[in-house]
Amino acid sequence: MIGCYDFCGHYEWTFEWLRQQGGHELVRAYWDEAIHQDSQLHASQLIGEKGIEGMKEYWGPTLADEGAVYERTVTEDVFRIDMHECPSKGFLLRNGLHQYADYCDHCMGWIGPLMQKAGFVIDHEHNHCGQCWWEMRRIDDASPASAPGTLAGTSDVRLRPGWKSPATDHYERATDPDDKT
Amino acid sequence: MKSAAMSEAAPATTSLPYTDTKPAGHADFYFAINATFRFILRHRGEEALRSCWRDIGGSYYRPVSKQWTEQGMHGVAEYWRAFFKAEPGAEVEVVESADEVRLEVARCPAIHHLRTHGREIVPQFCQHCYFVNEAIASPAGLTARVCGGNGTCTQRFIKRTVEAEAQNLEDIATAS
Repeated sequence: MIGCYDFCGHYEWTFEWLRQQGGHELVRAYWDEAIHQDSQLHASQLIGEKGIEGMKEYWGPTLADEGAVYERTVTEDVFRIDMHECPSKGFLLRNGLHQYADYCDHCMGWIGPLMQKAGFVIDHEHNHCGQCWWEMRRIDDASPASAPGTLAGTSDVRLRPGWKSPATDHYERATDPDDKT
Repeated sequence: MKSAAMSEAAPATTSLPYTDTKPAGHADFYFAINATFRFILRHRGEEALRSCWRDIGGSYYRPVSKQWTEQGMHGVAEYWRAFFKAEPGAEVEVVESADEVRLEVARCPAIHHLRTHGREIVPQFCQHCYFVNEAIASPAGLTARVCGGNGTCTQRFIKRTVEAEAQNLEDIATAS
């Protein structure tokens, strides 16, 4: 049986299997169709209907259940997550699992299309070491991403020593996993 | 800063090849497993789904095969005891003898969770246990059989011999 305990391990393995079967486009389609539209349809419905309130309802219990160490900062205009210990990437790092080129892309791969459908854009960075940050704003809000520490205070993951790895990926007002700047 | 209530480390000894800091998995991941099967079926067809199951058994789960090769039937039994202990909602008895390990699955955690949450279950869902288990068992000189499914089943791990009858896929129930 394929179980949920080590889900992140076989999930990551599946990305590479799909890439070998149908290339990058099949992996992108998987994140959108299988994860965003099927597995996480409860998140899609919640955020589509309630916007930022829906994000609060979804990401509170989910991240806690997954064992994340994180901080959430919410205003009327922005929903921000500072992920200090990603349970998913952390599992892979601890177990030495690395099949797919960039596991961290899967989050933008399913959350991006979800946010686009719900009318939001995303500013985001991940450092491939289990830390990342996200800011979701309505698409008609042209505000740039916050400067380090101004929105999340001392919980801002960008203030961590060693935050900036040589391979940090950056997204600006994006909803597409390939829109790295 | 928020962090889940969790143990700092995995159990001191475990028969699982990959370990987490949490004692059990997050059941909502069964949604993604079911969705993955549906996606592969839709885009690549049933034979590709079976290939995926064989490949993951022979690749990702290779450390399990190695463990079974080295430890024999006791290793098989210990693996499944640790496995189902970490799957939330599982009710499974592991019966161990010199020639066979049998899993009596009274409540499949995946089918239970998917059904509880009103998810449409891929009809072939229960076949994955046969194809994945067989791919893990084969390098260890064992073979797997599954009978039942759709929430309850019996899974057997026996020594591979020429006399062993092949798995009849009709013995595996359609999931719903």
